[in-house]
Amino acid sequence: MDFEMERFISALIDRSPPHALVHLQLVLIPVIIAFLIAFPVAVLLTRRRFVKYTDRVMTFFNMGQTIPPLAIIAVFFPFLGLGREPALFALTIYALLPIARNTLAGLKGVPQEVKEAARGVGMSEWEMLMRVEIPLSMPVVMAGVKISVVLTSGTAALGALVGGGGMGAVIFAGIDFFRPELIVAGTLVIGAIAIILDRIITLIDYMLTPPHMKM
Amino acid sequence: MIVLDKVDKIFPGTTVPAVKQVSFQVDEGNICVFVGPSGCGKTTILRIINRLIEPTSGDIYIKGKKVSDKEVNPDHLRREIGYVIQQIGLLPHRTVEQNVALVPRLLKWPEERIKPRVKELLDMVGLDSNEVIHKYPFQLSGGMMQRVGVARALAADPPIMLMDEPFGAVDPIVRGRLQDEFLRLQKEMKKTICFVTHDINEAIKMGDHIVIMNKGELVQHGTPMEILTEPANDFVKDLIGVDREIKLLDLTRSSEIVDRNKEVLGETREKDCFISALDPVQRALETMMKNDSDIVVVRDGEKEIGTICWGDIKKLINKLSGEA
Repeated sequence: MDFEMERFISALIDRSPPHALVHLQLVLIPVIIAFLIAFPVAVLLTRRRFVKYTDRVMTFFNMGQTIPPLAIIAVFFPFLGLGREPALFALTIYALLPIARNTLAGLKGVPQEVKEAARGVGMSEWEMLMRVEIPLSMPVVMAGVKISVVLTSGTAALGALVGGGGMGAVIFAGIDFFRPELIVAGTLVIGAIAIILDRIITLIDYMLTPPHMKM
Repeated sequence: MIVLDKVDKIFPGTTVPAVKQVSFQVDEGNICVFVGPSGCGKTTILRIINRLIEPTSGDIYIKGKKVSDKEVNPDHLRREIGYVIQQIGLLPHRTVEQNVALVPRLLKWPEERIKPRVKELLDMVGLDSNEVIHKYPFQLSGGMMQRVGVARALAADPPIMLMDEPFGAVDPIVRGRLQDEFLRLQKEMKKTICFVTHDINEAIKMGDHIVIMNKGELVQHGTPMEILTEPANDFVKDLIGVDREIKLLDLTRSSEIVDRNKEVLGETREKDCFISALDPVQRALETMMKNDSDIVVVRDGEKEIGTICWGDIKKLINKLSGEA
């Protein structure tokens, strides 16, 4: 297999952009949906009434990440078929665990004496959650979101296998036609997407981090 | 003001009660100190009063109102009670201003009332309000944080304060200063205070009334003088320690043993051995030792009212130990 620079540049500039846009959707939509599910569920699991369900729910999230997305697509094939939707579905399940786990860890890491004092001055459970627990756990939660985004960026390449598109389409075309330029270009773009998203979240994270933790 | 009636607390999963049949009363404007070893139930009692812990049985009344009733909202109850803990528990992500204004904001005070109140409170607890108001807790020293903690508890001017080893986390010098300042504040504020400590010296210094606890039970309660002169049993004696007489000297005013008939000699006057009639007898002893004298002159304001000599102090010690 020869590596032709011209073909590589054309793959990068002409061929990749539309696929990159689809790829971005394959990352962002699952992570956002996963956040909307995992964050409130994890918050609930730290409330006294629901603590007893923690193990069961976390086992489910764990399975979501240990079962390969392709297997999930296979299992749900009769209901969702092929294409964009099953890819988004499988990636969402895949993205749940880091967010849920870090939300749990972040909330459990809020210092006991701060919670004790907040309760002692008469904050209700809701006020304490919104004003104390969630703000103080934000850095850990955002670290989980970051892990999810980076993991999903890589895994989303498999979306192309079920007709979901994305940068995987470029890489698999390269494999099928023995074009290393396409494989390298596709991989580089995925890497770039992961890095850029990581930076963006770091910025959001910085804005959400309480001042005493910014050091 | 605060009444506990036969309060029991058995924590789930345990059989030994953490608090057993405890009843007592704290009068309005008094500091009641709970003292005892770790695990004696003193902190549990405090947390039962503001319902951070629900008692297994028994009732709590505040100003005649039964607050242990299920209908009383515990969050609202706590907003009416100042709460200071050893670990302070300032919100680390909020400024000093936001920390102190916590309860007034929960009570939905108008902002124009909160701002001056925060400044007033910070000045009251001995902080430079302009300097610290916009700082975060991590930028303060331990002593300053503890002052902010006290200011926060006082913010909405609650008639009752619960203080759990409030000066326990600072070094002995700062602790002594905070105690003195707090007692001075209390003279004006006249709050009803429940104060927890494991330090009998702090209890004697701070308390109008002392409650001694051991293994969840109330062992003895009374004024510091009563506790020191009539310890109920060996446990209390051990708690007070071997320097009981010295502690007693700290609780007796010089005016009580001053010898008003003795003529003050010029020699004594020259040695600069003067104390105030309001000073504790211990002060007389210290002054004697410092000046290598065996007599001090007691003044009431500018007027000399008499003397205390070494013999008078010895007589007092004998009398106090005889009473025990």
